[in-house]
Parts: sequence; C-alpha cells; structure tokens
Amino acid sequence: MGTGREVSVSLDGVRDKNLMQLKKLNTVLFPVRYNDKYYADAISSGEFTKLAYYSDICVGAIACRLEKKEGGPMRVYIMTLGVLAPYRGIGIGSKLLNHVLDMCSKQNTSEIFLHVQTNNEDAIKFYKKFGFEITETIQDYYINIEPRDCYVVTKSFAQPEANK
Amino acid sequence: MGASLPPKEANLFKLIVKSYETKQYKKGLKAADAILKKFPSHGETLSMKGLTLNCMDRKTEAYELVRLGVKNDIKSHVCWHVFGLLYRSDREYREAIKCYRNALRIDPENLEILRDLSLLQAQMRDLSGFVETRQQLLSLKPNHRMNWIGFAVSQHLNSNASKAVEILEAFEGTLEDDYPPENEICEHTEMILYKVSLLEESGAFAKALEELHKNESKIVDKLSYKELEVSLLSKLGRPAEADKLYRVLLSMNPDNYRYYEGLQKCFGLYSESGQYSSDKIEKLSALYQSLSEKYTRSSAVKRIPLDFLQDESFKEAVAKYIKPLLTKGVPSLFSDLSSLYDHPRKPDILEQVVVEMEQSIRATGNYPGSDVKEPPSTLLWTLFFLAQHYDKRGQYDVALGKIDEAIAHTPTVIDLYSVKSRIMKHAGDLTAAAALADEARCMDLADRYINSECVKRMLQADQVTLAEKTAVLFTKEGDQINNLHDMQCMWYDLASGDSYFRQGDLGRALKRFLAVEKHYTDISEDQFDFHSYCLRKMTLRSYVDMLKFQDRLHSFPYFHKAAIRAIRCYLKLHDSPKSTAEEDGMSKMAPAQKKKMKKQKKAEERAKKEAESKSEESTAGGVSKSGKKNVKPVDPDPHGQKLIQVEEPMAEASKYLRLLQKHSPNSLETHLVSFEVNMRKQKFLLAFQAVKQMLKLDAENPDSHRSLIKFLLKTESTSAPTTEAEKLRWSVLEAERPSISQLQNKSLTEVNEEFLGRHKDSLVHRAAYAEMLCLLNPSKKTEAIKIIEDSTNKVVQTNGAQIEWKLKDCITVHKLLDTALLDSEAASRWKSRCAEYFPWSTYFEGKRSSVMPDSVYNTSRKTNENGDTPNHPMGQTELSDGQVEAFKSLSVST
Repeated sequence: MGTGREVSVSLDGVRDKNLMQLKKLNTVLFPVRYNDKYYADAISSGEFTKLAYYSDICVGAIACRLEKKEGGPMRVYIMTLGVLAPYRGIGIGSKLLNHVLDMCSKQNTSEIFLHVQTNNEDAIKFYKKFGFEITETIQDYYINIEPRDCYVVTKSFAQPEANK
Repeated sequence: MGASLPPKEANLFKLIVKSYETKQYKKGLKAADAILKKFPSHGETLSMKGLTLNCMDRKTEAYELVRLGVKNDIKSHVCWHVFGLLYRSDREYREAIKCYRNALRIDPENLEILRDLSLLQAQMRDLSGFVETRQQLLSLKPNHRMNWIGFAVSQHLNSNASKAVEILEAFEGTLEDDYPPENEICEHTEMILYKVSLLEESGAFAKALEELHKNESKIVDKLSYKELEVSLLSKLGRPAEADKLYRVLLSMNPDNYRYYEGLQKCFGLYSESGQYSSDKIEKLSALYQSLSEKYTRSSAVKRIPLDFLQDESFKEAVAKYIKPLLTKGVPSLFSDLSSLYDHPRKPDILEQVVVEMEQSIRATGNYPGSDVKEPPSTLLWTLFFLAQHYDKRGQYDVALGKIDEAIAHTPTVIDLYSVKSRIMKHAGDLTAAAALADEARCMDLADRYINSECVKRMLQADQVTLAEKTAVLFTKEGDQINNLHDMQCMWYDLASGDSYFRQGDLGRALKRFLAVEKHYTDISEDQFDFHSYCLRKMTLRSYVDMLKFQDRLHSFPYFHKAAIRAIRCYLKLHDSPKSTAEEDGMSKMAPAQKKKMKKQKKAEERAKKEAESKSEESTAGGVSKSGKKNVKPVDPDPHGQKLIQVEEPMAEASKYLRLLQKHSPNSLETHLVSFEVNMRKQKFLLAFQAVKQMLKLDAENPDSHRSLIKFLLKTESTSAPTTEAEKLRWSVLEAERPSISQLQNKSLTEVNEEFLGRHKDSLVHRAAYAEMLCLLNPSKKTEAIKIIEDSTNKVVQTNGAQIEWKLKDCITVHKLLDTALLDSEAASRWKSRCAEYFPWSTYFEGKRSSVMPDSVYNTSRKTNENGDTPNHPMGQTELSDGQVEAFKSLSVST
C-alpha cells in the first residue's frame, strides 16, 4: 500500500468515556449532525461499532444499528463508515468492514445493508468488492443534498439451516 | 502497675491495660468503672480511664480524668506516662516529652517509656537527647539488635558518623560466625550497606571499599553493592576500575543518567554548568558514539549529546534524534527537548530543522533526503511540535496556525487541544484556554490527567464553580471538597486560592493557602511512625534519607508559594479592613464581568446550601458511632470568614514569614514580603534587613529598588529620634548606610535617576523608576507617565517575530497607571497599545480574544460538534485505488 513503514491498526469499542472520539470523527467526515439516538444505537450494538486506531490515533469508525427480531435472525444496518482523509487508501476501511462482516457471520444475521447516495460510485464499487449488491432505489431519500436519491446496498447471509 | 490495689482490682486493672492495647475500649471502661466504684480516687485507674475515653473521642473528659489521676498519684510513673501518651495523641510533643521525663524520674529504667521518649526526641530532632536515651536503652538491653542499631542511628543523626560506625562494629563483634540466619539476610545486607555509606560519609573511602568487598557474599542487594562500589572507586581516584564498573551498570540499565554522568567524570569530561571546550566536546562526542553502538535501545545515549553538541554537529544530531520520534508519534517530544531552548542558538537550529522536515513531508511525503515514505501521522506530529516551538518563542499567531492545521488534519488527537489550550493561556486568553481544555477533557472522560488540567485552566479563568464540579468527577463519593483536601491536592488548593484572591474573596483564598500549610504539617507528622518501623525493618539508608528530606520539607515550591500568598492575603487584610476589600475587587471589574461574578456567587451560595444540608445529614448519622476515624468534624468555618476577622493580620503573617526565612532564604520574594510585613509592623530594622537581603540577591531587581527607596523615604521622613529605642535604631541605620553601594551620599532622587540610567531599555525598570519618582515627588506625575509611555517594544528574535515585552509585565504596568498613578487616560492609552501587541489578551481586550462578540469562545460555549465547518470530504472523490472510505454511506434517516 501507500506507506513504506509498517504501522499497526487496531480496533476498539465505543463507550460513554470515549464517545466524543466518534463525534469528532463524524463532525469532520459527514455533513450531517447525528442525533442522540444514533449514538445510543451505536453503543448498544456492541461489537458492531468500532473505532480504528492507527498507531494510537483514532482515525476512523464503523457504526451499526442492530435490528433484532424475536427468535429470528437479525438485520445489521451500517449507519456510518468513514476514515479521516490523510489515512485513506491503507486498508483501514476494509479492516473495519471486515470486522463487522466477521461479527455478522458469527451471530445469526440474515443481512447487512446500508444507504448510499446514487452518485457515490466509489462507495458502491467498494461495497461490491465485499459482496454487497444494489437491492433497491429510494427516491428523495436525502433532503439537503443532491442527488436526493439513494440505493439500498445489501449483502445477504445464507441461513445456517440452508447451509446443511 | 496497680500495685496499691487488692488482688481482684489489680486483675481488673491489668484488664484495662490489655483492653486498651487491643482497642476493646468499652470493656476497658467497664473494668475501670468497677475499680472506681470501690476506690474512686485511684490515680492510675483514673488515668487509664481517661486514656481509654481519649480513644473514644471524648477529649475533654479524657484530659480531666488524666489530670485528676496525676494529681491523686503524683508519684506514679503510670500516671505520667499516660499523660504523655495523651499529649502525644494530640501532637503536643513538647508537653509529652516533659511528662515522659517525669515518669522516668520515678522509674528510670522503664524500657517502654524510654522507647516512647526516644521516638519523640527523633521526631522533634532533639538529637543530643535522642543519643542519650538510645544509649540508656542499649545499656539496659544490650542483647537486642534494635538497640544497637538505634544507638548508631542516633549518633549518625547527631552528625557523628564515625561514632556510629564504631557502634556497628561493636555490634558485629557480638555476632556468631554463621550470622545471619537465612531469614535475616536482607536486614543484614541493609546494615552492611548502611555501615559502608556511613564510612563514605565520614570520608573513609578506602576503608568503606574494603568493608564492602569483604562482605560481598553477604550482600544480597547486588545493584546497591555495585552503585556504592563505583561511587567509592570514583572518590578514591581509580577511574579505570570505575569506568569498567559503570559499563556493567549501563548494560543493566542503559537509561540511567547518573551512570552516564559518572562515566563522564571518569574521563574528566564532566562540568556542572554543561559548558565544554571544543576539545572536550569532540571527546565526549566520540565517547557517546561508541556507547550508542553498544546500547542501541537506550534513549538516554541519544538524548545526552544534544546538550553538549554545537552548531552543525548539533543540527545533524538533533535531526537524527527527532525523525524516528515524529514518525512514531511521541507526544512528549517537545518537553523532552524544551531544555535546549535555554541555549542561545539551538532554538533557531531546531526551527530550521523541523521546518525543513515539514516542507519536505508536505512536498514529497518523505523526510529531506530520504526515499522512505512517511506515514500520514508524521505531518501531524511535525505540526504539533512546531506549534509548541512557536508557542515557546512567543509567536502565538504562528503557533495557533500550526495547531489548527494539525487539528484539521486529525481532529481526534487529544493532545492537540491541550496544546492549543496552553497556547491560548500564554497568549492571554484564559477563557478560551479553559474552553479548549474542556474540549480535550470531553474526548476521554476516563483520563484523570486531562481532567485535572482542565480544572486548573478553569480556575485560572476564575470559573470556580465549574472547576469544582469538574474536579469532583474524579473524587470518591461523599464529601467532595474534603476528599480533595484528604488527597493533599496542593495544585488545586493553590489554583483555587489564587482565583478567590483575584476575585477579592480573601476568606476563601486564605482557607486554601492555609490548607497547603496544613498538608505540610501533616507530611511532617507522617514521619512519626517510621521512627520505630524503620529501625525494626532495618531500612536504615532510606530512613536517614527520609529524615533529611523532612528537614528541608518547607523549602519545597508548593509550601513557598502557599506561604507567600497567605502573607499577601494578610497584607491586604491589614491594608483594607474587611468590608471594603470585596467591593474593591468588584469596582475594578467591567460591568459584564460583575454580572457574571454575581451570578456565579449566587450559584455558589446555592451549591453551598445544598452541600451544607447534605453534610449535616451525613454527620448526623455518623456522630453516634464511637469509632474515632469515622466521624469527621464539620469544618466550622468552610469559607474562611473567621480567618479574615483575625485581629492582627501581621502577627499571623509573621508566623509564615519565619518559615519562609528559614527555608527559602534565597528567594527574593521571601524578603519582599518580609519587607512589606515589617514596614507595616513598624519594625524598621527587620525591614532594613529584608532590603539588604534583596539587594544582595539581586540589586538590580525593580522590587529591590522599590523597597530600598520606600524604606529610606520612610525612615528619613520620620521625625528626629526621641526614645532610646528610636535612637538605637537611628544609629544602626547610620552605621549601615555606607555599606549600601547604591547610596554613597546621594539623594534618593539621584539614586532613582541612576537606576533609570542603568536600565533605560527595560520596561519593568522604567515602571519602577516612574513609580518611585511619583512617590518622591508627587508633582512629577506627568513626567513619570511619560517615562512609561516612551518605552519602546523591540523585536528580539532573529527570526523577526517575537517581541520583547511580556504580557505579565504589561498588565502590571497597566495596573500601576490605573491604580497607583491614578491616570485613567494614560491607562486606557496603554491598554489599546497593548491590545495591539497581545491580540488574544482578554485583559487588554485584544481583537482576537474571547471578549470580542464574534469569538467562538464568547458567551455560552458551544461544543465544536456543529460549530465551524471543517473541510468535508464530500466533494473530494478522486481516489487513488478506487476506495473512498469516508463517504461510503450516508444515513440521515436515524
């Protein structure tokens, strides 16, 4: 990759005590201010929300919301995934996503999905690499940004029963 | 004991003693009452009952009973011993010693009393008495190891190290050949090492070394053995052997600076000042070169050469030193290097080196001349370093530019906000500094250090209530302020006291400063337990070290600061009786600030009421308990209201002044406050002494000059002496006058003019001159103000950006114009002039400070969450290898 030196990247959970790190990242990464529910969902998703540390500096995060059904498999919704600009292109985003996909396969998950703005080709390409597919288009999903439409991008997991 | 009682009661008496020792006080009390029923005036029983009650927190009864006991049986050593113990429990050591002595007069060979007496003598540093008592203990019980050791230590403390050695040798003579037994080898090691260090202290190096070598097999502390050995070898002038041994020690710990220092001394390459000839620098450089090849993991071996290397070789070395640390991301790098900033040329070189790195990384991603790609964080740490560098050099605008860029680069690094906070503080915007420190704190709520740093900034910005709330986040549940007090948190006491002082609340300020003094008393008390413990455990070297540390305890900076500030409070109390002090503080403030203060006060009062009702509840529950430690006495004066009603503030101040004079005689401030206090007490000879001390320490200091002039003006203007005392004083001053070189038959006006002549270019000196000019001749006020206003601020740095004047000095000058020279027009001219020099200063209302309405830090602070718009990566979709990870997903729905 881009660097000539090996630097370790590690993941850490989000708690009350370091929540501000996620908030700081989001302020810079996204043009939207997230509400308290976003952060409550993120914390309660446990292993599905992670901060990425690049040699002890927090540089990126993935935040998910778990949609659980009584008795059935759960759905995982990726609320945000982002890495600070200077630290892109060295595999940190992949590491975060892989971690969540890993968690999905360990727990009873039917699918993982997210919304992507229709013109964000790079993002779509990125997710396709991990086996996601466009499953739906929602008109006028965004209010303040153009284009206002978005895709629903989904990766389904084969159910354990079907695996046998 | 209890001899005069019939057998049944005698047994009961023994039970009281036993119950006391095992802390079963109720049982002891019962037994005492049973005896007293039959023998109501039995002295020893009365005493023991009193002692028992003392442990149950019934002090007044305790003293009554014990006194009665002594009265009823004045010939009983038990009664006197108990009286002594009672005093000891209240830390009245002098009284306790008297009681013990009385007890010993009746029973001179009572071991227990002798031992207790010796502990008190050690505590009070009654060293000759200590020696005597320990000698007596030894002659009474010579088969006890502890008595030998105790006698030796007492001789050592009484500055008789060689006598101590003799005693230890005599003790060794009593030991069997196979000594020590397996379970006492550590104790024995300590004793031998103590003996060797005693020999070293008394100058018998050869003998010490011999002793050390002889006992090598018996010493289990191998590191101390080697360290002592190498120190002795050096002192004996055997550098070749010492060199070898230092290298052994370095291979064990290659980061111990003392080993390097010792090694340098072996080669005659050590200087206290750090100044070396070029020839020596070459040799040192070669030495460290070879050492660094050997101890590759040591950071000391890389850091030390930066202190002695010069110019080109320094430049090369420092670049080599910095690079890996910036790559790795070491936040403490700047403070590691900050001592280099005392050097005249090194800061410029550092700037050049690091700026080159910054440019190269920006342009190519690599360090200059390298083809290895740096990780993205290197730029961040480089900017971080530069921000601190420019801050240190007083170029706050450049510093802020760098730190803002670093924050934009990686907004999640907490240290960036802490440093920005510090820059703001230096630039004079304490409100902004507190806000930034709070931002840093919020980013890691589990970090006590950044929490404390934030508290300190809040106090500096006079946000006391907020600061208290923040500090409390890291204290235990319950009575919060007391908890901070119990932790002896002195930086907090000082910063909080300073804030109250600035706000004119002298009561609370004094309360805090005196709390620090109390902590020091407690620390001094804490040594008491060690007098017996250390002798028993044989940790003799550390014990003696600890005692020496305690002897200079009050010279430590926190005490010095607290005492100076307490005295300043008392000076203020003396100058303005209580009622006006507060209003004074208020009238000087801007109306907006006043409002804020009032609001804050109201909030504080509310909080106070809450806290009071809470503490009442908690103590109401606790009082019934008989356990001694559980009940904390309620502070009857939590806001220091009683403290400021003191009758003679100057008498109080003198108490602390004496400690300062004894322990910080080399501080100019000590003598300055001594001068102020003694002038007010009309103790002119003492004031004169203070002036002389100041002149001796720093004759050209503006405060020395002011004090001299003020003193002479005062004493010359008093009428001719009438009383004997005045005549005496007069003659002393006459005799001393010629010894002051500044005077030499000159008038005070001439002295003042000459002072100006010597320091034409210095703002603070000009201000002192002007103030004195006005004092000597009030009609020259206009001239005085002109002198101040004609001062010129110059650029002092070679890089062309730093100005000479310090913010602190300019504020002092403003206060001088405003309140001493009473020219509000000149003051406001000064203010707008300084606002140009210090645009971030809230004091001068600079245009970039938080008092400006458009400042982000103005009014109620917002968190940055939705504040300024950072560069959104939304637009940047050009990607290196098709991975855009910032904007993978956007979700607004949640």
